[in-house]
Amino acid sequence: MTTAVEMRNISKYFASSRTLATDNVDFEVQQGEVHALVGENGAGKTTLMNILYGLIPPDSGEILIHGKPARITHPDDAIRLGIGMVHQHFKLVPSFTIAENIMLGIEPNQAGFIDSRAESEAVRQLAESFGLPVDPNLQVQDISVGMQQRVEILKTLQRNARILILDEPTAVLTPQEVHELYSVIRRLANEGRAVILITHKLPEVKAVADRLTVMRRGRVVSKDEVNSVTVADIASKMVGREVILKVEKQAAQPAEVVLSVENLLVADNSGLPAVLGASLEVRAGEIVGIAGVSGNGQTELVEAIAGLRAIDGGAVHLLGEDITHQSVRNRRTAGMAHIPEDRMSTGLNLQTNLDENVIVTVYDKPPYAERGFLQRQPIRNLAKKLVDRFSIKSARVGEEIRTLSGGNLQKIVLGRELNGAPRFIIANQPTRGVDVGSIEFVHQTLVEARDAGAAILLVSVELDEILALSDRIAVMYEGQITAVFDPDTATEETLGIAMAGGTIGELESAAITEVKVS
Amino acid sequence: MNRFQSALENLSIPVFAILLGLLVSAFFIAPAGLSPIDTYTRLFCEGFGPRGCDTFGDLLVVDIENEDTGAIEHHIGLFYGDRGHSLAIVLEQATPLILTALAATVAFKAGMFSIGMDGQFALGAVVAVFIGYWLPAQVYGVFGIEDPDTLSGPLWWVMHLTMPTIAIGAAMIVGAVYSWVAGILKVKLNVNELISTIILNAIAVQFVTYLINGPMRADMNNIARTERIDDTAWLVPFTRGILADVDWFSGSRLGIGIVLALLAGLFVWFYLWRSTAGYEQRMTQGARLFAGFGGINTGRAVLRAMLISGALSGLAGAIQVLGVERRIVDGFVLSGTGFDGVLVAILARESVVGLFLVAVVFSGLQLGSINLQFGNIPRQLGGIIIALTILFTAMEDFFRRTITRLQIRMKSVGSKNSSLVDTPASGGD
Repeated sequence: MTTAVEMRNISKYFASSRTLATDNVDFEVQQGEVHALVGENGAGKTTLMNILYGLIPPDSGEILIHGKPARITHPDDAIRLGIGMVHQHFKLVPSFTIAENIMLGIEPNQAGFIDSRAESEAVRQLAESFGLPVDPNLQVQDISVGMQQRVEILKTLQRNARILILDEPTAVLTPQEVHELYSVIRRLANEGRAVILITHKLPEVKAVADRLTVMRRGRVVSKDEVNSVTVADIASKMVGREVILKVEKQAAQPAEVVLSVENLLVADNSGLPAVLGASLEVRAGEIVGIAGVSGNGQTELVEAIAGLRAIDGGAVHLLGEDITHQSVRNRRTAGMAHIPEDRMSTGLNLQTNLDENVIVTVYDKPPYAERGFLQRQPIRNLAKKLVDRFSIKSARVGEEIRTLSGGNLQKIVLGRELNGAPRFIIANQPTRGVDVGSIEFVHQTLVEARDAGAAILLVSVELDEILALSDRIAVMYEGQITAVFDPDTATEETLGIAMAGGTIGELESAAITEVKVS
Repeated sequence: MNRFQSALENLSIPVFAILLGLLVSAFFIAPAGLSPIDTYTRLFCEGFGPRGCDTFGDLLVVDIENEDTGAIEHHIGLFYGDRGHSLAIVLEQATPLILTALAATVAFKAGMFSIGMDGQFALGAVVAVFIGYWLPAQVYGVFGIEDPDTLSGPLWWVMHLTMPTIAIGAAMIVGAVYSWVAGILKVKLNVNELISTIILNAIAVQFVTYLINGPMRADMNNIARTERIDDTAWLVPFTRGILADVDWFSGSRLGIGIVLALLAGLFVWFYLWRSTAGYEQRMTQGARLFAGFGGINTGRAVLRAMLISGALSGLAGAIQVLGVERRIVDGFVLSGTGFDGVLVAILARESVVGLFLVAVVFSGLQLGSINLQFGNIPRQLGGIIIALTILFTAMEDFFRRTITRLQIRMKSVGSKNSSLVDTPASGGD
């Protein structure tokens, strides 16, 4: 095996956030291996890879590709050197076909006119040669997220990538798609390519990687063979202490019904039905988890309950009060809190400071407002209280929050939403893109809120999270709640079948103890 | 410290821009056979200096020989105005600009790129003029007063107070309603505000032009014009009123309008940054999902912003006719005051404090460039200098990046050292 990538003494200082993102980092990857680069959010993984891909110039250090010193100042340089990167957020043109996306910028043409037939044919051959079948003529906006990722990978392969960087590739995939991706990754490595996997999901590291490098606060803290370490080892190296991966919680003490949803009908953005008669109940003191493959109506269900999407039929009751057509304001007053799926644009306003972010639910109520004017001191006190209570690192009263890490941003959302002891909490993907240390914190906080008597509706694409936190698990498939499980007896496998729309027969044959179909 | 630094940075950018604008203008001035330095001197003296200003030095300190003693006296350029000061005229011209820039800022800060200030300004002006001549006439009729000059006693006071107030109030209401139309189109029907305000501007300008040439035309003057407003509705300039003895103001029609503009600035600042309503609209700007998620009625926030924005534009129109023009002459509504206000608001980056400075500098450069012709310099050169300055101001991001890069270069060594002290082991959480 030869060294594909060698990065020596890479340092990068970000003036805007006054942090040393990478501090004298040494990093190397062999040809033919899958190398996991793990670390908490803000540990410097992505920065390091962006430096390798020419997106960020390093302040110091050198890079060797296949043993030769390389000057990478632009992604073009990286591509020429055979480096390909698949970003966490895909960079595809939705209205273009798969073929057009893959051949973007290198279109086969005749006298300046794109030869779209040749384009499709080239992509078809490429896809077949790598065993990654795609229909080159489909538009990207019509294909699943897993397929989009495949297109991104093919795009790098089309440009002869020998070194592949995958940034959090499984964040958006269903369990089935994840397994497919694993086998693709293995195959690419077996062909002699170097695959760098940026991740903070530890089971993934064990499942697919050969070696791993752990980063913490901009430094490399260990380099290991995957076989020689346990998941707990990696976790403690990442956060610098032992992490409880299993959520500690008592048995739930469900009390009165807080939220009841009956036969809900909700349309998606394009006016097509997304929630088709879903019904569910959440009681005080329990966490109900909704499991499901993305795009089966979970988002629309949550938005409808939260008041962000019009309800076309059915009813929503909160503490016995009909809130089906109430405004967000009235729902919140009635005791609802909402940790939204997308904290970057819905949960927070990244253009303003901490203070203005923590008051969005109370800005017009005393003591934060008097006679229509914002009261500076009470607002600052609230921000200070939340920063202390939720130990939001590097967040300061009155300062911008733009540069905070995902975990700290989520803590701001959590602190704001849980402030004032809400009776009902919607937690939608509460730990998406959040580092291990903060995941633990988020989970504990939710369990504490449950124990204090709140009813919690948890929606997550992470089955581990659903299984660890929920007191009851409802599976959502094609706009309906198709099954309810007891987490003690449910397994990833049985849940997976239900999430994929498996029939009752299939579920029974998978030996389910308790199945309830509504 | 941090705040001070960023303030310094913000201030240095327009200075950079103006310097660069001047530098590049030299390439246009020199081929015309003129000295760039002379041109700049004239431009700034005419725009910002005391009457009789001849050198850049005169902008700061004016040396005057005392006629009686023959001794040389030093005066600070800014306050020396024995024969009038350009800044008085600049402030007069900046007043409507400040108000329309405030109007634009309030709309922008609700996420509405409204450029309807021209239309609201025109309607505000025409309403104020109409009330300014029509309403006093009605009052005289009711009280049977034949000659307004004989007006005296309490009625004089009442009319001098109520007539401008009513005219201004009506202009603000009309401006607000007209602006609200664009708002409601956006909120209810999702009509792009840029398009609707452009159309509304065209309608308002055409309508006012029709009024001036038709029903409101006062006489058979070559250029169509309305009647002049009654003296009771007139916002008397300082030079004719309380500050008649202060020479600094002479030659200008600066009046109570600048005070109203300052008050409007204070109001807008407090509204945007200290009131819950301002919070609502600022959160709506750029983070509409966040605002709705938090329970803010974003539609209402947008409409409120549009009402305030329109009222400010209407106020600008009213002040311009009640304090400066006293009648509307054909072509007045094509002055582009509203659009210049949009420009000022953008250049000031939606900063309330900043827009006052930008408006004054903008008006000063405009005045200076028009007066260039008195120094036998084509005024078009002034236009080029202004355009280049605006262009460079718009390149703010470029300057900011350059400044940041310089700062990093200076700081990076120090910060690296300090970060070495902060070992990873030191903090668990």
